[in-house]
Amino acid sequence: MKPAWFDYYAPRGLDEALHILGDAGQDGRVLAGGQSLMPMLNLRILSPAVIVDINRIAALNRLHAGPDGLTVGALVRHADLLRSPDVREGWPLLWEATTQVAHMAIRNRGTVCGSVAHNDPSAEHPSVLVTLGGTVVVAGLSGRRELPAEAFFTGMLSNALEPGEMVVEVRYPRQAAGTGTAFVEFARRLGDFAIAGAAAMLTMRDGVCKQAQLTIVGMGEGPFRVRAAEDMLTEQTLGRKESQHVFAAVAATAAAAVDPADDVHASSAYRRHLAGVMVAQALETALVRAGGQHLG
Amino acid sequence: MSDARFVNERMVGSSVIPDEAIPLVEGDGRFLNDIKLPGMYHVAFLRSQHAHARLNCVDASEARRLPGVIKVLTGEELLGKVDPFRSMPNRFSGGESVQHWLAVDKVRFCGEAVCAVVAEDRATAEDAVDLIKVDYEPLPAVTDPRQGERDDSPLVHDSCPNNYLIKREYQRGEVDEAFRNAHLVVKRKFRIGRKQALCLEGRGCVAGYRENTFALTVWMSHQLPYVVRHYLAKHLRIAETDVRVIIPHTGGGFGQKASIYPEEFVCAWLALTLRRPVKWVEDRIENMVASTHARDQYIELELAADCEGRILAISSDVWVDVGAYSTYLWSAGMEPLQTAGLMPGPYRIEAMRYRTRGVATNKTPVGPYRAVGRPSASASLELLIDEMARRLKLDSVEVRMRNLIPVEAMPYRNANNLVHDNVNYVPCLKLAVLKSDYERQRSEQRNSRPNGKLRGIGVACFAELTGLGTSTAVGPGTLLQPGRDAATLRLETTGVLTIAAALPSQGQRIMTAMRQVASDELGIKLEDITSITNDTATAPYGFGTFASRTAVFGSGAVIKAARELRQRILAMGAYILQVPIEELTIANSVVQTVDRSKSISLREMAEKSYFSAKDIPQEINQGFEVTSFYDPKFGSFAGGAHIVVVDVDPKTGQVKIIRYVAAEDVGTIINPAVVEGQIIGGIAQGIGEALLEELVYDEAGQPRTVTLADYLIPSALEIPRIELHHANAPSAALGGFKGCGEGSIIGALGAVVCAVADALSRRGGDIHEFPASPERVLKGLGVLPSDGQAGRGSE
Amino acid sequence: MAREQPIKVTVNGRTYEKIVPVRLSLADFLRDHLHLTGTHIGCEHGVCGACTISMNGRSARSCLTLAVQADGAEIVTIEGLRAEDGRRHPMQQFFLENFALQCGYCTPGMLMTAIELLRDNPKPTEHEVREAISGNLCRCSGYQAIVDAILAAAGKELA
Repeated sequence: MKPAWFDYYAPRGLDEALHILGDAGQDGRVLAGGQSLMPMLNLRILSPAVIVDINRIAALNRLHAGPDGLTVGALVRHADLLRSPDVREGWPLLWEATTQVAHMAIRNRGTVCGSVAHNDPSAEHPSVLVTLGGTVVVAGLSGRRELPAEAFFTGMLSNALEPGEMVVEVRYPRQAAGTGTAFVEFARRLGDFAIAGAAAMLTMRDGVCKQAQLTIVGMGEGPFRVRAAEDMLTEQTLGRKESQHVFAAVAATAAAAVDPADDVHASSAYRRHLAGVMVAQALETALVRAGGQHLG
Repeated sequence: MSDARFVNERMVGSSVIPDEAIPLVEGDGRFLNDIKLPGMYHVAFLRSQHAHARLNCVDASEARRLPGVIKVLTGEELLGKVDPFRSMPNRFSGGESVQHWLAVDKVRFCGEAVCAVVAEDRATAEDAVDLIKVDYEPLPAVTDPRQGERDDSPLVHDSCPNNYLIKREYQRGEVDEAFRNAHLVVKRKFRIGRKQALCLEGRGCVAGYRENTFALTVWMSHQLPYVVRHYLAKHLRIAETDVRVIIPHTGGGFGQKASIYPEEFVCAWLALTLRRPVKWVEDRIENMVASTHARDQYIELELAADCEGRILAISSDVWVDVGAYSTYLWSAGMEPLQTAGLMPGPYRIEAMRYRTRGVATNKTPVGPYRAVGRPSASASLELLIDEMARRLKLDSVEVRMRNLIPVEAMPYRNANNLVHDNVNYVPCLKLAVLKSDYERQRSEQRNSRPNGKLRGIGVACFAELTGLGTSTAVGPGTLLQPGRDAATLRLETTGVLTIAAALPSQGQRIMTAMRQVASDELGIKLEDITSITNDTATAPYGFGTFASRTAVFGSGAVIKAARELRQRILAMGAYILQVPIEELTIANSVVQTVDRSKSISLREMAEKSYFSAKDIPQEINQGFEVTSFYDPKFGSFAGGAHIVVVDVDPKTGQVKIIRYVAAEDVGTIINPAVVEGQIIGGIAQGIGEALLEELVYDEAGQPRTVTLADYLIPSALEIPRIELHHANAPSAALGGFKGCGEGSIIGALGAVVCAVADALSRRGGDIHEFPASPERVLKGLGVLPSDGQAGRGSE
Repeated sequence: MAREQPIKVTVNGRTYEKIVPVRLSLADFLRDHLHLTGTHIGCEHGVCGACTISMNGRSARSCLTLAVQADGAEIVTIEGLRAEDGRRHPMQQFFLENFALQCGYCTPGMLMTAIELLRDNPKPTEHEVREAISGNLCRCSGYQAIVDAILAAAGKELA
């Protein structure tokens, strides 16, 4: 399967890239890692008239961990995150989720921002960004804007980009002390598209959950943040004894809240059921880690 | 695994490192897509988007105008110039299907080829495909064989009432009486989804016009070079002697590359018409719909047993969704007839009855794929036997011991009229039990699992008829009876040996196996023997590589030819050395007297034979080239027992294989490491069949699993370490060899499905539909409701 | 905008300057323009792994990379594994001796992945080996011989 023709640009500066994208409008696509875009081009699911390859824009290749948070530029690869001790230490949810992305060869080329922009319902990064309360930085000819993660993801394979805009970086805040996180997903084989997954973050103080963030992967419309479940957890005492009971109730609430469609990989009922299972597993693990156990 | 390599010791039985692997490991393979000829054109096909439709109009005018496009071929243009594929008539008929190479009047499955675009490169050809406008008039699609056989169903072929491409009933023995008098009757339904071989390399063809002295040279990723040559000549209406077929390195075959397909034949026609080389490479998306599928069966099975759990009779009803056309050459009869006919497997069954159907639907045609109907036959019966065992409170192994054909009873003629002999069903089961520590597995299973998982143990025994001679048909009732094959052995001018046979390898190391056999038979050093197996210009006529036959046929033909060649070598040696022939032997490529006092190397002898012929009487110097044909007459049963331990996660439905023990009888082994690779490869495909692989169609006949992200084959994480053991009995064929390519997939499907069902039975659950996806497992446990949910499968 | 662009790419130590169609994949460039047919195409959507090569020192799917993206890059393919004197790479030798290939179609990608694994993790467990090669599909072998070859290679010093 060979792609249809397109015009190809490989600008060296962001302004140039934005000009080309601006001119192309709906007919332009950004090529970063290409691990999601190229299959679609090869299968002729997509035939954009213009491809803007951003791999030569050095400024976009920025991975920076600071006191304010983690900045991940548009050219940072999944593999770069995995090799970063700062990321592993400071953003364990992000690190753990990235280990689940496909396989090494894909991780070597695929980018975090590319995954965010693509917003596949089974993808890991959109849900992690939402769970951690991250920010998406978008640039276009009319300038930059920053969106909170939840505002960026607008539906299956959809995002809040206007024609001519691109994601230039994503940012993750530092997690508070006493926070434990977990990312779990279920796929038929390791590295496959997740049928369901959950990203959980619990911030604990003296055995009480002060803040909970919970997002479900794979329900069809993008990252599904379960606020009802988060409310059930906030200010809840979560000792080892109570937590089983609470988590079961939270899992049931989460499963009831999602509304996935039937598709060739899973029925609606199965996805819903798995959502509950993933939520329970993620919460249990996050709680253990909030007690100070590190990833390893 | 033995890695002994001996010179001057027996080669057969040694894990000789295959020379044929060297170019492959170094990146110097020559696969179909690696072949480039000057001036070569490239073909892409426009394929039907509809499962069933009238083809009203094809407008290729814009496509033809695209720069770089040479030609757009439609089915209309081929009418009258080439012969379409009429399904091989079968003794047990349903109906005949006629398959045009490019659709004319109607399309009958999504993916059926409608036009062929010829262009300077593949990408341009695909651009042109996008410009072709086709006017389809959709028709109702048949997508379920049980609906398709009803009188009110739409017809896929007007010539096939009730969409039966094959239908047969059979009975032997007193079936009704057995069921009447039975202590217990057990019934089950079994469903296995559609799958495909998923060779890592798709199909492909390079057709060359006058590339050499042949008018048509065709390189094809295929298993049967001479069969292809025969049918190319026949359908293109040219002389067989004008055609040469060469098989390049082939990236997997498994039976999918043993059928005759339209696309390659279109390429050949184009090459002859355009007088230019033409290449077509099947990409993965095409492969998912254009290459034959397999399985897709519904089985209703019952057995009658006595109070000891001995099977008195079996009765089966089989429906196979065989797709839109009766596959050319093997016919739609393959799966339906083999599934029902080979149901008894390795068990002593005196009475059986079946009713089997191959029902046409508007899906990709079903063709031969590794073990054909035997995995589903075995799996359905094994599940039924386990249910019987549970009802009678018998252990799975014990009940099988009571029913397997024991060595003492052989030769034993089963209810399906096959004679079992020289095969170790019971010893294999005993060995598997011993090596898996079966009693301990059962006692561990009885204790509750601390990890919350459900433990299941599956036992499956199988029989595999290999190396079929002329007394048994590969496709029951088909006209093609490939019961013999041939090899030519030639001593070259320097005393090295060439073996030529039309038995191409897709990784089974057939060349190496034949070299090992020849080395032992002739006393020639292995490194002095080479083999060529892929070219009709060099090989004697042979049917090719399929149905687990090359170890028997290749070796048998080599042994026969070698014995004749050996006599000629010894006769020459006797003359040259002036000793009686009885005193001579051949070892290490040297002809010598037993006491080694006199000798002559084969090299010297060959030189004399070729270059000093005037010095040797003609009746002695007959020429060191011998061709022998071999027909073992009967098949050779291989067999085995697999024991599988699984853990089922009752929350997610995921099945994990904890332990896998296989004990097999594959006859005399030529190359143990190669055989091990074949067996484990077959097990991997069986695990895929049991747990992962399913091609899904919707009610409109649209394929829903169209990429490798949808159709899941096992990765290295889904296959456990396989513990492989042997209890081999030599066959009655020459050399004592048996085939081993297909047995293990039968054992694997049976053992894994039984293990899953066993795990579910611990909670009173059960499972009848496979692959045992996590969702089906949860339905089987009652965690998910079992009806009304759409999702996988075209139930 | 031109449909072709010049690229300068180093493959197996040799630098090439070629003009390529912008839509040409790196896999097709290697195979059809440089005649390095050792890299195989199995799916063209990044799943099977047969096309895996090394790009700037990391494994990558050549079917998902455009040839124009390889401008300025260093690529290593299976043909580049052999030593200057023509001897096989040790991993190739282990594959051969352990019967870790049958049809050979997955082998090029499998080798590249295996070599990268041992570079990153010289003494992997069996599970780690299986995980590392889980993105390289093999239909013939059932993986066991491949795993054994890689474990054997890990047991020895690699050049």
